[in-house]
Amino acid sequence: MISASKDNMEGHNLAISAADISKAFIVPHERRDTLKEGFINLFRKRTYEHFRALDCVSFQLRPGEFLGIVGRNGSGKSTLLKILAGIYRADSGKLDIRGEIAPFLELGVGFQQELSARENIYLNGTLLGLTRKEIKARFDSIVDFAGVRNFIDLKIKNFSSGMRARLAFAIAKEADADIYLFDEIMAVGDEDFQQKCLNVFREWKDNGKTVVFVSHTPNLVEEFCNRAILLDGGKVVFDGTPGETITEYHRLIK
Amino acid sequence: MRNRKNLNIRIVRELVISEFKLRYQNSYLGYFWTLIKPMLLFGVIYLVFSVFMKSPVENYPVYLLLGILIWNFFAEATLIGMNTFMTKRDLVTKIYFSRATLIVASAFSSLITLLLNLVIFSVFMAISGIMPGAEALIFVIYLVELFLVATGVTFILAAMYIHFHDLQHIWEILLQIGFWLTPIIYPVTIVPSEYHRYIFLNPLARIIEYSRDIFIRHHVPSLYLNLILALMTIVIFCAGYAIFKTQEHKIAEKI
Repeated sequence: MISASKDNMEGHNLAISAADISKAFIVPHERRDTLKEGFINLFRKRTYEHFRALDCVSFQLRPGEFLGIVGRNGSGKSTLLKILAGIYRADSGKLDIRGEIAPFLELGVGFQQELSARENIYLNGTLLGLTRKEIKARFDSIVDFAGVRNFIDLKIKNFSSGMRARLAFAIAKEADADIYLFDEIMAVGDEDFQQKCLNVFREWKDNGKTVVFVSHTPNLVEEFCNRAILLDGGKVVFDGTPGETITEYHRLIK
Repeated sequence: MRNRKNLNIRIVRELVISEFKLRYQNSYLGYFWTLIKPMLLFGVIYLVFSVFMKSPVENYPVYLLLGILIWNFFAEATLIGMNTFMTKRDLVTKIYFSRATLIVASAFSSLITLLLNLVIFSVFMAISGIMPGAEALIFVIYLVELFLVATGVTFILAAMYIHFHDLQHIWEILLQIGFWLTPIIYPVTIVPSEYHRYIFLNPLARIIEYSRDIFIRHHVPSLYLNLILALMTIVIFCAGYAIFKTQEHKIAEKI
């Protein structure tokens, strides 16, 4: 309570505040990632190219906002998400995150094909930060949401991609984060699954949870998000309502 | 609010459990495969050095097997461990969690194999009529030291591996050289004594020799020797972890 009121006084009532985030990848013109190549070419001058994946990206996000990120391939969308999650470290800029940020970008990462759904729930849940006790307590709600009760001891490799997506989302929604990051989450799954996700998102919106959402599908951005930014060449070129941003995006790709 | 307490320990535990299940539960031959490599090596060396060359070492089978099992753990743990970011690439690039947990989990998985192999070793001891005394309990300390040395070395190798993808081949060669420079198949007494100090710069040589002392010779190495080994272990583990930490944030980008 004390910290919350302090935040308000300082005017920091933001879930994410990113200022001038830059990230460059050093791309050598020839790859030299073995010692052998390193020795052979020891005296040959190496040329590099700095690929600026993100160039002074700034944006602010209030709790409860759903931000869509659109842009062409290679525009820096995924890099931005990875920096938010902590997977990449930004070269420069200031990133302030208030609240618990979910550590994952994709669903079902680390699912083991040869293990049962039950075993995968424990493994995946732990990677997402849950304790065994918490997983046990939420086990039934995970299984019911995913609708896999009859297949719980079946190996994941025998699951259809839709079942796998449902299970993955069911675990992820229990991750207890304040801020969620999603990279192309709806690429799999049928309409029923998408509807279920939508319901969860609505619930989150009411509870003041924040979502950053990367998608190539304009419809989904318009449906889920209340704001969207357009990235191009690592820069934020537009920031507005989803409708405006998508119009801008279509203009860009023409 | 998410419970961050012991998160890394919980992740290591789950990773080890699933690795164990994958390796042993889903194939009845799982354990057999991990055992066959050290046992074949043992069989061949025993044949050559004991039957053909008449090794003068007393209780040679037990002596040899203990050395091979300890060495085999170190070789497997470092080779598999340095590669762990490649095999778990998906996790590394899509979830944020401490990367060190993957190294530690991999080392624990190798340790489980060693513990299973030590059951076979105890059968060998029983057949040879060697009864371990109370001093054999010190072996627990050597196991911990062995684990820490292997983990420390893996930290360094994994940190280098993200920059040099052929490091694995180089490390395999170095392991082969190390196998012959460590008193595994020969007694250290055949080495001229002026070289002993170099031989024992290798903590594995100490762990193997001291373990033989307590199991076979019923003799406890002096406190001084034990302290040197403990110091070596701590230095290797801490240096390895420190080096790894400087590279940890680059792993997701480089892999």
